[in-house]
Amino acid sequence: MNTLILGTAIRLLVPVFQLFSLYILFRGHNHPGGGFIGGLIGSIGYIFYAMAFGPKSVVDMFFMRLYVEDRADTRSRSQQLLQTIKKNTWQRKKTLEQLKKGEKKGIHLEPMLLIATGLLLAAGSGLAGLLLQQPYMTALWTDVYLPILGKPGTPILFDLGVYLMVMGVVLKITFIMSEE
Amino acid sequence: MVLALVAGLAVACAAPLIHRLAGSRAYLLLMLLPLSIFGYLLSLLPTILAGQVLSSYYPWVPSLGIHLDIYLDGLSLLFALLISGFGALIIAYAAGYLKGHPLLGRFYGYLIMFMVAMLGVVTAGNLFSLFVFWELTSLSSYLLIGFKHDTEDSRNSALQALLVTGGGGLALMGGFLLLSTAGGSLSLPELLEQGDLIRTHALYLPALALICLGAFTKSAQFPFHFWLPNAMAAPTPVSAYLHSATMVKAGVYLLARLTPVLGGTDPWAYSLLIVGGTTTVLGAFLAIQQSDLKAILAYTTISALGILVSMIGLGTAPALEAMVVFLLAHALYKGTLFMVAGNVDHATGSRQIKQLRGLGRHMRPTALAAALAALSMAGMLPFFGFIGKELLYEAALEESTTRWALFGLTFFSGIIFVAVALVLGYRIFWRKTPTPTPLLHADGPLLYLPPLLLAGLGLLLGVLPALLVTPMLRRAAEAMLGEAQTFELTLWHGVNLVLLLSGLTMLLGWVLYRATDRLHALAPRLAPLYHYGPNNLFFKGVKALPGAAAALTGAIQTGKLRNYIAVISLTLVGFVAYTLIPNGPPLVLADRWHLVTNVRLYEVVLILLILAALYMLHRSKSRLTSIAILGIIGYSIAVFFILFGAPDIAATQLLIETLTVVLFVLVLHKLPAFHTLSAIQQKPKYIAVSVLFGAAMTYVLLLVKQFPLDSPLKEYFGQASYLQGQGRNIVNVILVDFRALDTLGETTVLAVAAKGIFALFKLKLDQEERL
Repeated sequence: MNTLILGTAIRLLVPVFQLFSLYILFRGHNHPGGGFIGGLIGSIGYIFYAMAFGPKSVVDMFFMRLYVEDRADTRSRSQQLLQTIKKNTWQRKKTLEQLKKGEKKGIHLEPMLLIATGLLLAAGSGLAGLLLQQPYMTALWTDVYLPILGKPGTPILFDLGVYLMVMGVVLKITFIMSEE
Repeated sequence: MVLALVAGLAVACAAPLIHRLAGSRAYLLLMLLPLSIFGYLLSLLPTILAGQVLSSYYPWVPSLGIHLDIYLDGLSLLFALLISGFGALIIAYAAGYLKGHPLLGRFYGYLIMFMVAMLGVVTAGNLFSLFVFWELTSLSSYLLIGFKHDTEDSRNSALQALLVTGGGGLALMGGFLLLSTAGGSLSLPELLEQGDLIRTHALYLPALALICLGAFTKSAQFPFHFWLPNAMAAPTPVSAYLHSATMVKAGVYLLARLTPVLGGTDPWAYSLLIVGGTTTVLGAFLAIQQSDLKAILAYTTISALGILVSMIGLGTAPALEAMVVFLLAHALYKGTLFMVAGNVDHATGSRQIKQLRGLGRHMRPTALAAALAALSMAGMLPFFGFIGKELLYEAALEESTTRWALFGLTFFSGIIFVAVALVLGYRIFWRKTPTPTPLLHADGPLLYLPPLLLAGLGLLLGVLPALLVTPMLRRAAEAMLGEAQTFELTLWHGVNLVLLLSGLTMLLGWVLYRATDRLHALAPRLAPLYHYGPNNLFFKGVKALPGAAAALTGAIQTGKLRNYIAVISLTLVGFVAYTLIPNGPPLVLADRWHLVTNVRLYEVVLILLILAALYMLHRSKSRLTSIAILGIIGYSIAVFFILFGAPDIAATQLLIETLTVVLFVLVLHKLPAFHTLSAIQQKPKYIAVSVLFGAAMTYVLLLVKQFPLDSPLKEYFGQASYLQGQGRNIVNVILVDFRALDTLGETTVLAVAAKGIFALFKLKLDQEERL
């Protein structure tokens, strides 16, 4: 379904979908919206992109490409991790060029990682209460008010986790189905 | 004590690391843990001997009465000392036995974890924490038995032990729950006070049966004895530790511990006596037919456990005294003999008694330990085993009703113990032979010192019982009998009936030993009988399991979506009918006609739209049309949600509808052709299901609307969501704050579903590739 009109339009629309979904996510606490709906809206943008250009191009375009250092036998795991982080942060430009040329092999962060991150965030947001000797999932709030985002607190983190999770699940399922 | 348990678990986790850092000296560091626990327990000894009970209280789930309590009295202390003392020796022994094994560090970890679990079992003061530690012993013994995981035999044996003891564990859990219902508490000290109440309770018999089942499986009683000989696939340190001195005694401990609660009734006495007695005879009978050293030891252990259980069943003061004395004696000599068997195996590479000859010359320390332990096992005079056996005979003879039966079986097993002791202590080491078995290598001090120490202790306790153990054993017996004990342990009772019977045991045992070879020649003739033994039945059952599961799955999972939906709908209708029709309020429709007349125009339009769409859906011949029509229905329902003030749900519904259509479009060309799957005759069936389901839902809705809806929840959430949840969107605040745990659960389900879909699709692809 690679038509010129859809392809051009969707390139422009993806950021709009993205911003709108985030807006829906953050307004959810006071107005209709929230993580679930936000995640669905966000994923729809990518699905249209996948319909126009194929799921692989979504991963190539929007999902960060990371370089993973091979571990030599003489080096410990922590050294490997440090090296990987270094190559992906301040030497990133150089690494990306090498990746593009195929000199080094990298991995893509996948929708599955979105799911995992979302779950971790949602489950982890409850731990804050636990650390303060309160039951798991006790909500904690700050007294600051930020424009658009509202008051920061652990339920927002939880909702963000749901958002990522829903987006990941929908994208994963769609990609599998369209790959088949 | 809690500290000791926690420290133990920490050390167990760190053991592989310690092993890697400290190399072959790691055992010295690791031995510090059991030794310090042993020392700590010894420091408690005077308190316990003074008749006090050490208990501590650590709340865990207070609302359910579950605590990590510690209850340490004479009985617990006896077991705990055995476990920690043995633990230290076994770690040293394992360092020698598995020297240079690549996974030795992990082995230490399992061993220490097991030790902690056992200590937990014997010191727990709460049924629930006891159960948790009990299961931990099953798990860690699974890991230990399956330590040689590269042989199939080991894996099967480990799984068998886990299934049998784990199954018993389930029964035990049920028994504990019934017991706590009957006694009104999960706390052991409180239950111990309420024996009379519990014994007359209606739940007494089921609780007794389940707890006995748990104890019998753990202590390898007939008909669950078969896992113990198979568990000999484990490395010898494991056999010496778990299968002679500690884990198999957990069941005995449990029965002894609960004697004041459950004991003293006829069902208790008969079940324990019958099961214990059968086990005693069967174990002894099977032991004499074996030619593998460890198998012989395993079966004699089963026999000894049978004696212990029957003594608890007997329940008289002399019987319980005999039980604690024999338990200690047995642990000392059987642990030694297992280690001796391990040394022989290690040094010669064989455990078959026919191949082992004249080892004494080159393995003097091991042979000495074997001789000492064998003498104790045979019940020779200056050894602790002698005292144990004398007491057993006395206790058996004192009971009037079952006197000769009980004595007969202790006597029978006594004879066989003597014969086995002669084989282990004399035959393989000292019998004159022109061709001694060649040694692969000599045994090091780490291998012969621990058994020597244990065997020496057996002699020392025999010579000086009054000084060393009598007070502790008294307290241990007191814990079961509930009153202070004053028995004395002495070696020499004078010439009496028991002594004469002891002599007769020796004589007959010697005769039996002379006939060992002839018996072994006869043994294969019994083999067809074992075909129907519990071990074979067990394996047959395990093998039949996948087939049965497949048949059941095939019957339930037809793979046809309409069947699943029919089952779900009919179940719901059934439950609604079951609860509402006999007890529900009558449906009054008379004064609700205004509801029909008040319908607004756009509602009618939407309903007509849905009805028309439904009609079209039935007529449609293409999948694309059907999907589009389903979309129309979904969007109409979303509009209903908006009309009735639920924008959140409406938005979700709209998005989901969109996504469904998109997903369908993606896979449309891959789906099979659009067939009418059910024949015309089957259609009435599905129509009936649909009508029933729709009728049930309508009925429930009408019934619900009949009553005014004044739930305090609406008001509560309306206020609380802003004041406590800091948000004005009630739905969202409930989702992410008040009911966040539910949401977390649901999102986890979503994640798992995504993973499952991924797996299913990939699986199919792989199969296609393979074809």
